[in-house]
Amino acid sequence: MLLEINELTKVYRSGSRANDGISLSVAEGEVFGLLGHNGAGKTTLVNQVVGLLRPTAGSIRIDGRDMVANPGLARRLCSFQAQAQVPIDGLTPRQAIDLLGQLRGASKAEVRMRRDRLVEALELGEWMDVDAARLSGGVKRLVAFAMASVSPGRLVMLDEPTNDVDPVRRRLLWRQVRSLADHGAAVLLVTHNVIEAERSVDRLAILDEGRVIAEGTPATLKARLGAELRLEVVLDPDAAATLVSPFGQGVAVGNRLMIGVPSGSAGDAVAWADSKVRVGLIEEFTLGPATLEDVYVALVGGSQREPLPVKEVLGATAA
Amino acid sequence: MQPLRSYQLLVTWQALRKKNYLPLMMAVQTLFSLGIVLGYPLLFPTLDRTSIYLIATGAPAISMISVGLVALPQTVGEQKTEGSLAYMRSLPVPRLAYLVADLTVWLAIVVPGVVLGVLVGAWRFGLDLQVSPLVVPAVLLVALTSTCVGYALASLLPYMLTVIITQAIVVFVFMFSPLTFLPDKLPGWLEVVHRILPIQAMGEVTRGTLAPNEFGLPVGAFVTLAIWCLLGFGVTYVAMTRRG
Repeated sequence: MLLEINELTKVYRSGSRANDGISLSVAEGEVFGLLGHNGAGKTTLVNQVVGLLRPTAGSIRIDGRDMVANPGLARRLCSFQAQAQVPIDGLTPRQAIDLLGQLRGASKAEVRMRRDRLVEALELGEWMDVDAARLSGGVKRLVAFAMASVSPGRLVMLDEPTNDVDPVRRRLLWRQVRSLADHGAAVLLVTHNVIEAERSVDRLAILDEGRVIAEGTPATLKARLGAELRLEVVLDPDAAATLVSPFGQGVAVGNRLMIGVPSGSAGDAVAWADSKVRVGLIEEFTLGPATLEDVYVALVGGSQREPLPVKEVLGATAA
Repeated sequence: MQPLRSYQLLVTWQALRKKNYLPLMMAVQTLFSLGIVLGYPLLFPTLDRTSIYLIATGAPAISMISVGLVALPQTVGEQKTEGSLAYMRSLPVPRLAYLVADLTVWLAIVVPGVVLGVLVGAWRFGLDLQVSPLVVPAVLLVALTSTCVGYALASLLPYMLTVIITQAIVVFVFMFSPLTFLPDKLPGWLEVVHRILPIQAMGEVTRGTLAPNEFGLPVGAFVTLAIWCLLGFGVTYVAMTRRG
């Protein structure tokens, strides 16, 4: 493993325990996702890896070398796209990308070649000579990604790289994230965008209140949910308290209820949901494959909500 | 990456970031100088020869202080708050290279304002200044001390406190610092305070090299500034490399 984090703990002077015994590892050629709510401790973790924060306890190793003792080496081995916008107002994207590439030690010719390839792949050409002060947040974010990846370190850390980026260019960006790993970098991707992460990461860890509460591939995490399908129903607000699910309690998000359903019960689920639509308990429903978002909501989102107002069982008289 | 190459690239980066800022800073510094050399004679219609020289040479000193101890801490404090300073600290270069590069660019912002300040003063009072050859190192020392101390302030203090303190510095420098008047006009206790602070020394070094025939070269003030400069740089460097 290229990056090995062991029992990492960070307690701020205020007493807040942002990371609490986190252990994880990322291999070369792998995209590893770090998912969690705002304040779950994701940014604190990457800031320790890149040497901006000193861990309270635990170790960070890259290629077997101690990064806590050697933060200068950590900065040379890691390319980093921070969550905050890059300070490039006054520079054009071309200047900013070239400067970063050269600061990482690449020759001008290498930087130029790789910059042109990235600009084409991310469709940034029309903005290359515009002052960054006049760029939109999304374009600036893409430029920041190009800066981090024009001459990538062995570890590339991307903190919320798709914030503000339009859906079309997000896809282009994810392709380039994959390409970084395919060319041998270990990629640590911090995001709260679970749906996109599912398509892009090889493995992931879910962080909650500074702890890793689940880790694995998207498939193994979904298997933990114990359901291959997801029945999502939109509840009638007045009738929600009287609804009963035959497949378990499910997880409520607003007036939506997500219920895990075994693949053999697809017909029963549709029939049940349809019957509830007819009596007005459900406004509409969809049945589809379970997603990483279901796992995430079950682990993180569900724990923060009131118990569901479900009182009936299947087969009982409909309200 | 060689530290010198890192330094060159970072100077380019910081200079490009501040290039839109430079004309504005020069305009503000020129206004400061104009305000002083045109405004003081309105307050005091009959000025003796010493006062005229004090005002003409005090204006460029005040303009250097206004950038180093006011504009710089506010800008760096803002960079701390928005996270851009942390980003620069995460770059794969020695932090010393970043700090020296940023100071270089700040010096480049300060110096044109000083030249403008001297010209404005000489023009208003029709002075023929016999400038000492030491004026170049002297101005660089004053500018560097004011930028280093300003950087240290912004590094140590939270942003809002930095803003409040820099506002207080403006009043203190204009009204209660012996830059456009001699220290014997101050109450005794404030005279003592100014012997410790770097502001009076900045004034003495500036006027002592811009008008050496009028004021003489103050060796002690050079030493005071060198100490403050090293102190400011040291505090800033420690803050820059410290992990929270």
